[in-house]
Amino acid sequence: MVETRVRRIMTAVVIAISPIGVIAAFAQTPAPKPPPPKSPTAADWAAVAKLPDFTGVWELSFGGGRGGGRGAAPGGAPQGPQLTTAATAKRKQLQSEAREDNQTANCLPPGMPGIMGQPYPMEFLMTPGLVTIVIEAYTQVRHIYTDGRALPPDPDLKFHGTSVGRWEGDTLVVETVGFSPLTEIAANVPHGDKMRIVERFRLADPDTMTIQTTVTDPDVLTAPYTSARTLKRHRTWTIAEYICEENNRNFVDEKGKAGINLNQAGAPAK
Amino acid sequence: MTRAMLKLLTATAVVLISGATLAAHHSFAAFNMQGEKTISGTVKQFDWTNPHTWIWVNVPNEQGVVETWAIEGMSPNFLGRRGWTKSTLKAGDKVSVVIRPMRDGSKGGMFVRATLADGKVLLQTGEPTEP
Repeated sequence: MVETRVRRIMTAVVIAISPIGVIAAFAQTPAPKPPPPKSPTAADWAAVAKLPDFTGVWELSFGGGRGGGRGAAPGGAPQGPQLTTAATAKRKQLQSEAREDNQTANCLPPGMPGIMGQPYPMEFLMTPGLVTIVIEAYTQVRHIYTDGRALPPDPDLKFHGTSVGRWEGDTLVVETVGFSPLTEIAANVPHGDKMRIVERFRLADPDTMTIQTTVTDPDVLTAPYTSARTLKRHRTWTIAEYICEENNRNFVDEKGKAGINLNQAGAPAK
Repeated sequence: MTRAMLKLLTATAVVLISGATLAAHHSFAAFNMQGEKTISGTVKQFDWTNPHTWIWVNVPNEQGVVETWAIEGMSPNFLGRRGWTKSTLKAGDKVSVVIRPMRDGSKGGMFVRATLADGKVLLQTGEPTEP
């Protein structure tokens, strides 16, 4: 009896202390200390009101009278990324596979940087310490922390990476690291582990936003890859729902063959 | 100019003019983008859904047997900003639709334009109607 009791107590002690051991083991490299959490004050909200107003719904300008805004380098024609020898070989290999489509046909979102080039609007929200971008395409969201925190030294790999921002005058400068291997720099250009994206957001006039995007990736690019986009604010618009899986009939198989499912049995019931 | 170059230019122009939204989600690989086919019949169902709208049209074939065609269109998000609603097409509407047919010959294609019984022409391109 006594032995059983002792064993029970011992088990309880082991359970009680083991999480501490686990935490201690993981705490060897101290992460940068985040600012102490607090509720935003009236002064914090007042400070947001003094920033350039990015709030509202924006859409990329496309060619055809709306002043082309997609992928063009500043002050010039669209220019592709300059690749290392290895990345050039990789692109050639991927091109030779002649894949008919990419995974967005299966409703996988493109992630960064492609998600910022979609022909659907985006809504910018500004709150103390945070700029949030609600992206209509694929119903995506980006969080840009402007509370002074540092980028994580060993970030999880995510479709949109991890972003922090700071204001340089009237420009929001956003740095992003830690990207999922499922995202790519451009068509047939996969990124490396060290890809870093810097975006500079500013208002060119009250309803025009420019975003200059610079991708660096020492394993893939021989020079920073910069592109510029122009967005127009649509004050009467709201963001619509976009559930890609609602009625997706397109697909691409593992060999890259594209197809469409025309079986009406799969159509939503009416 | 070589034929291949011309083809590439045409394809690029099509993407730029009509297909930006479509291209964002998937490629045109399944469609014959140089082909054009007109189908006439009765709307069976209109799917006002993402990532694409689908018009199901009942079309009598040469033997008089009714076959259902599936026509892929732009998303409700894109069309909703260009004057379309979920009631723009209704079951029972007589319609004539120009499509880029499926490459594999199956009964489907990509929407180009439609003409209703009263002569009204429906397009899926153009500028948004709201500022």
